[in-house]
Amino acid sequence: MIEYRKVTTTTVEKLRKILKNDALLIYDDTESLKSYSNDESGGEYYANMPEVVVKPETKEQISQIIKLANNEMIPITPRGAGSGLAGADIPIFGGIVISLERMNKIIEIDSENLVAVVEPGVVTNDLCRIVSEKGLYYAGYPMSVETSFIGGNVATNAGGSKVIKYGNTAHHILGLEMVMPDGEIVEYGGKRRKDSSGYNLLQLFIGSEGTLGIFTKIYVNLIPQPGKVVDLLVPFESVEKAISNVAPLMVETKSLPSGIEFIDKKSIYYASKYTGMKLPYQDEVESYLIVQYEATSLQEIEELYEKGGKALQKNGAKDVFIADNRSNSEKIWRMRRNWLESLKAVDPYVPTGDVVVPTSKIPEMMKYINEVSNEFKIDIPVAGHAADGNLHPAPLKPKNLPPNEWKTLSEEILGKIAMKAAQMGGAISGEHGVGFIKKELLKKTKPKQYKWMQEVKEAFDPNNIMNPGKLF
Amino acid sequence: MNQEYKGVWTIAEVNDGKIETVSYELLSWGKDLATKLNVELSSVVISNKAENLDSLIQHGADNVYYVEDEKLEHFYPDVHTNILKKMVEDFKPEIILASATTKGRTLMPALAAKLNTGLTADCTDFEIEEKTRSLIQIRPAIGGNVMAKIKTITKPQMATVRPKSKLPLAKDENRKGKITKIKYDEELYQSKYRWIEFKKDKTSVQPLQQADVIVAGGKGLKKSENFKYLQNLSKKLKGAVGATRAVVDMGWIDYSHQVGLSGKTVSPKLYIAIGISGAVQHLAGMSSSKYIIAINKDPEAPIFKVSDLGIVCDALDILPLLEKEIKSGDKND
Amino acid sequence: MEICVLVKQVPSTDKVQIDEETGTMIRSELESELNPLDMYAVEEAVRIKENTPQTKITVVTMGPSSAEYALKEAISMGCDEGVLLTDRKFAGADTLATAYTLTQYLKDKQYDIIFAGERATDGETGQVGPSVGTQLDIPILTYVNKIINITNDTITVQRAVEGGNEIIQTQLPALITVVKEINEPRLPNLENKLKAKKSIIKIVSNQELKIEEEKLGLKGSPTRVVKVFYPKISRNGEKVVVKTPQEALEKITSFLKEKGVIS
Repeated sequence: MIEYRKVTTTTVEKLRKILKNDALLIYDDTESLKSYSNDESGGEYYANMPEVVVKPETKEQISQIIKLANNEMIPITPRGAGSGLAGADIPIFGGIVISLERMNKIIEIDSENLVAVVEPGVVTNDLCRIVSEKGLYYAGYPMSVETSFIGGNVATNAGGSKVIKYGNTAHHILGLEMVMPDGEIVEYGGKRRKDSSGYNLLQLFIGSEGTLGIFTKIYVNLIPQPGKVVDLLVPFESVEKAISNVAPLMVETKSLPSGIEFIDKKSIYYASKYTGMKLPYQDEVESYLIVQYEATSLQEIEELYEKGGKALQKNGAKDVFIADNRSNSEKIWRMRRNWLESLKAVDPYVPTGDVVVPTSKIPEMMKYINEVSNEFKIDIPVAGHAADGNLHPAPLKPKNLPPNEWKTLSEEILGKIAMKAAQMGGAISGEHGVGFIKKELLKKTKPKQYKWMQEVKEAFDPNNIMNPGKLF
Repeated sequence: MNQEYKGVWTIAEVNDGKIETVSYELLSWGKDLATKLNVELSSVVISNKAENLDSLIQHGADNVYYVEDEKLEHFYPDVHTNILKKMVEDFKPEIILASATTKGRTLMPALAAKLNTGLTADCTDFEIEEKTRSLIQIRPAIGGNVMAKIKTITKPQMATVRPKSKLPLAKDENRKGKITKIKYDEELYQSKYRWIEFKKDKTSVQPLQQADVIVAGGKGLKKSENFKYLQNLSKKLKGAVGATRAVVDMGWIDYSHQVGLSGKTVSPKLYIAIGISGAVQHLAGMSSSKYIIAINKDPEAPIFKVSDLGIVCDALDILPLLEKEIKSGDKND
Repeated sequence: MEICVLVKQVPSTDKVQIDEETGTMIRSELESELNPLDMYAVEEAVRIKENTPQTKITVVTMGPSSAEYALKEAISMGCDEGVLLTDRKFAGADTLATAYTLTQYLKDKQYDIIFAGERATDGETGQVGPSVGTQLDIPILTYVNKIINITNDTITVQRAVEGGNEIIQTQLPALITVVKEINEPRLPNLENKLKAKKSIIKIVSNQELKIEEEKLGLKGSPTRVVKVFYPKISRNGEKVVVKTPQEALEKITSFLKEKGVIS
């Protein structure tokens, strides 16, 4: 185990010199430092204070900071919007937090090559909005777009609701400019769409959760805007019926929806309480699917929802509701989008599981989650991206249970569910990443791969300066 | 051909005999226009009772036309429209301004239809075109994204005016004017409506659009219970509580509090936006407030672009303190 | 019971481009949809139909031929038929001319209730509804947030007005504009959506209405847009990142004192 050194006032002076602007550094101010001590993964349970927070504005500053950290053996934790759900941006060894909030420029939208070049601190939602004004589309759509940064999306290889049609974040990244763990600035990929010259290191860094360097520039793939969107809200009498429709829907209609979301009765209960709205059949059904289609013309979109809707009806949907304008779409999505917030209203530190299984195994997975819920007598609402087999079970703390006991218990519950997913040919994390919360599960479920991952890490970062304690 | 139309009118609002502030705001606009046109400014009062009509003169009116009858206790659109139609035919004003309140926005379209003349809704500013002496009516359109200048080619030229878009003139006790009481035949007071009752809204001290101060909350308040801070704070500031569409949709507070594109448009003296990020739809409803204070933990929130004072911090951290420490502005308290 | 709902199609985006030279909206690229505030009027009509046997709902709009989609959206929510008043001569109408055209179509129909939304999200005037009611010489009930009772010849409603709710009754037929809190509009289901798609919209042009041209469109409009300009909304305010709640309170208090809001 490497011994890290503490941040001293001399270190802080050196950092100040690099940044040349006192506003870009937080030290000796507990209140301000505190907001960099945790993320959305579990609030106070996992929080740890950074010793100093820096908000660099250039890649050169980042490079110098990392060189300094190597010299002084101080750990670095890179941080985006702090919306992570696996604790990857919590400074568990203290040290320096490099917050990328100031690296938030959209450098270029290249309509000719269909590429956007952005800094990591750009809010993904802003990117989506700005490219849409030019008739373009960023298809990587994590559900937390209103807050998350594109840099964090790349670091976790985020998914979201549109993976079935467009793939996860890795599919949309054409290039990265990075500051490596030794401080060197290197570009991987770029505006080119093909490259078979040597190892594809680009893909290695996507999902590396800040352990292999810091992104300073991201080349994002853009596609033409689909233009027409329709959402189907589909209630089902049972979870099995809902889930068993997912694969056949795509097979029977021979068309890919851009997303199929799943939400269960318990989730609807909390989301309904939080949003004050009611979905049709809310008290009679066990679950809903939200199916979204995208197309370029009105005629095409009408054909899609008719075909899809009929297939769902034939296979046991209680009804099929159609939203092809903003007001109605908003109605359909409001509960799903407010899912996590509505659970947080009941349990502020609700932990969120992130298991993924082959699509055909979702019914089995749901059954298992239900068994675990009964076994531990814990309420576990589930929502997820049904089209790609990614489920988010969210166990809720019983009112009387003390927080420290709940931390152990909830980890056990989510651990059990994750292990089951891995056994089914799935994985312990679909889109949130491993961070430090799931590293034991990673080791257990991918023992041989874990060893090779460690080899890679050591090759890039022998001092283990970059985001230590995450993944490994 | 419209030469015979002369003078500026404002429609006063009276509630239970008391003249509402919006009536003075209208006079302030009316005075501007009447001075430019060198004509008289008249205020029309239609009510069963009215206290202190002199105050209309003291706030700028040259004439007060007071249509008084015990049958005029409540606002019946048909009766008020018929009375005004008759008055306009008799007196021929060139400009009629009413407040963009629920009353004004009901009465004026009806009156314009009866008089077969133009009407511009929810104006925030006026000009007089020198050459033609025409009224240029300025109003925000398309969610406040653009402003439109509108002209009416018929007479009278009619507009509803956004409450709080202008301060009343200072009261001048020495100002003289004429109060004319008018009685009409019984048949003009015949209504197809029957008033039943009025249920007061308890949450707000005063109606949103007439408040000098609005304390508004958004999703940053985290839950509906936290609106109690806003309610107490707004009471102390003699203001009203506003809200974003998101929290109204979530049932945290009634729709009557919603500010924005699909809610109300307000221009108070002070708007305090708490935990509101400032979606364009919301900004459309409040960006013309005189002063805006924004409290939001996201330093990049668009609300800061329109605020005079922006406080970057979690609203919930400071609300309890704010509610406790802010003292009422009323020295008599 | 015979019910009519007046609706409008509006651009389905907030980002409306204006040609500053001509002051007109650049409509070419615009998608349009049923005015969201009209959905509450449609929903209220459909709810009456569900509780009152033999009720028929006709949804009416004036607009370009593409406004058919707005009508079909209303039909998919439960309206029975759609009528589109469309003619080149109707173009450029202000609220008075629009209301006049609608009135000329409605005047010989026997509707018990005519519903409209509070206002459209594009023009935001809220004037067409009350103007139609007045031109038809029937009572107008604006800002209705609850229908309390309907009998054969009366209707009792609650209106959202400044400072509270007013309960008032009037005779039928009447024109009613509703506000958002009156209900929660339903989502159309597939069956109704397909039915609406197949429904035939009745097209009415001026050949049928025979309105004199001076009363139509731009010619019949007493108001004219002289100029359109972009307002400056950003202020150069102060933005402070506060460290403690106390600091925030001090900032706010001194601002309020300076502006004379508190003493």
